Amino acid sequence: MAAGYAWFLVLGSVFLCNLMKTFLSTLSSLLSKMIQKDAEQESEMRTEIQGMKMEQSSISMMDEFAKYARLERKINKTTDKLKTHVKSRTAQQAKVKWVVNIVFYIAQAALMVSLIWKYYSDPVTVVPSRWIAPVERLVAFPTGVPGGVGITCWLVVCNKVVTISKLL
Amino acid sequence: MDTGGDTSEEATGSSTMSAAQRRAEMRRRKLLLNSEDRLNRIVGFAKNGSDNNGTKAQPNRCRAQRVDIIMSRRASRRPAEPRFHLDLDRTEPWSPSSSSQRPSPFLPESSALSSLSHTATPERRGSPLPDCSEPPPAVEDDVGALRQRLKGERAPSDNISGSPRRGLQNYLSRFDDAMKLRGQLASEKPTQDGGVETEEFDPFRVFRLVGSILLAVFVRMFVCKYLSIFAPFLTLELAYMGLSKYFPKVEKKTKTTVLTAALLLSGIPAEVINRSMDTYRRMGDVFSDLCLYFFTFVLCHELLLLCGSETP
Repeated sequence: MAAGYAWFLVLGSVFLCNLMKTFLSTLSSLLSKMIQKDAEQESEMRTEIQGMKMEQSSISMMDEFAKYARLERKINKTTDKLKTHVKSRTAQQAKVKWVVNIVFYIAQAALMVSLIWKYYSDPVTVVPSRWIAPVERLVAFPTGVPGGVGITCWLVVCNKVVTISKLL
Repeated sequence: MDTGGDTSEEATGSSTMSAAQRRAEMRRRKLLLNSEDRLNRIVGFAKNGSDNNGTKAQPNRCRAQRVDIIMSRRASRRPAEPRFHLDLDRTEPWSPSSSSQRPSPFLPESSALSSLSHTATPERRGSPLPDCSEPPPAVEDDVGALRQRLKGERAPSDNISGSPRRGLQNYLSRFDDAMKLRGQLASEKPTQDGGVETEEFDPFRVFRLVGSILLAVFVRMFVCKYLSIFAPFLTLELAYMGLSKYFPKVEKKTKTTVLTAALLLSGIPAEVINRSMDTYRRMGDVFSDLCLYFFTFVLCHELLLLCGSETP
């Protein structure tokens, strides 16, 4: 009637989902780094701006105003370019994060639905019904097996236990 | 004759002044009649304000008095700039009934009266209460004490409805509440977006969880053959209720969420919301204990079956 390790399978699935949720942000940042190919360009621009600023600080504005002004214009131009680059990178990162989250939640929902579908009529484990009186029918939902622990009850219990263990 | 004409003018002037003085004196007497009652209410509500927030014994005039207190104090410093004080924890709409009965310090009549009669001056200058023997309370203490007191008040005698001033004050106070709640929500959103909320370490909570685990193991080993597993659990929860007072209480910060903000703006008192949230939190604790207990029980059962040491 009940698979021997169904309870362990459900517990493992819930644990895995919660673990994945913890590492979602790391995963999305890794993916965005892989997708973005011009990350070096940004660091080059930063280095260039830094070099120009150092050069500008060594120039006297009174003595070489024209050179100073040219350098200032270059710095401003490169800074604007860098800002645009950073803005587009941030937007892309947000998009990747959003996609990763959506995919994760769809996968999690699919996993839960498949578990419920599989164990709809089979309890994950069976105990003597007098042990879990008077709520044996509620615990056994939706299997209807006396003394059985239904998939919904077990999913709720596992979710709660994993949440508590995360807090501790 | 001139002296006769002057005498008649003086008589008219003195009769006008005395009529104005008479009116001022009548108002002052009327206020003095209720001064003791008002003072008792203030002092009484300052003591009982934290305990009896839900009582509706006090009239709505005190709200208007508080407005007058603040306005008169600030008028002494900046008479050209009236100020309104808005109560975040207010639950009832403002009633300007008694404030409308009292003359505003900014009206020319009252200023003329104050310049003319010395008896009216203390009322307008520094002391909001007509009884000058008592020192006027600090504004901030008034605000803090009266805030607690004015929740759920309704004066049976205040039946003024449709007053545009009350509607405007009501609108302003609601708007102020909404702005403050919006600010609180905005400040709490970054902490919630950060992921799992870090809760303060609660030793009682850890004690409950460990107790549930140990009881589940004990029940699986020795008790489950004889009675239902939920009976020991209920006994344990009753024991926890009694033991909770022996553990240090951890102050849980009440978070402003969209739900609590909506409930506050709909007029539900903050105390009711806090009590409901507290009850909900306690139910959540019991549910957590139950889930952990049942999980441990099933785990022990499966491990014992795996070991083959016992058949159910």
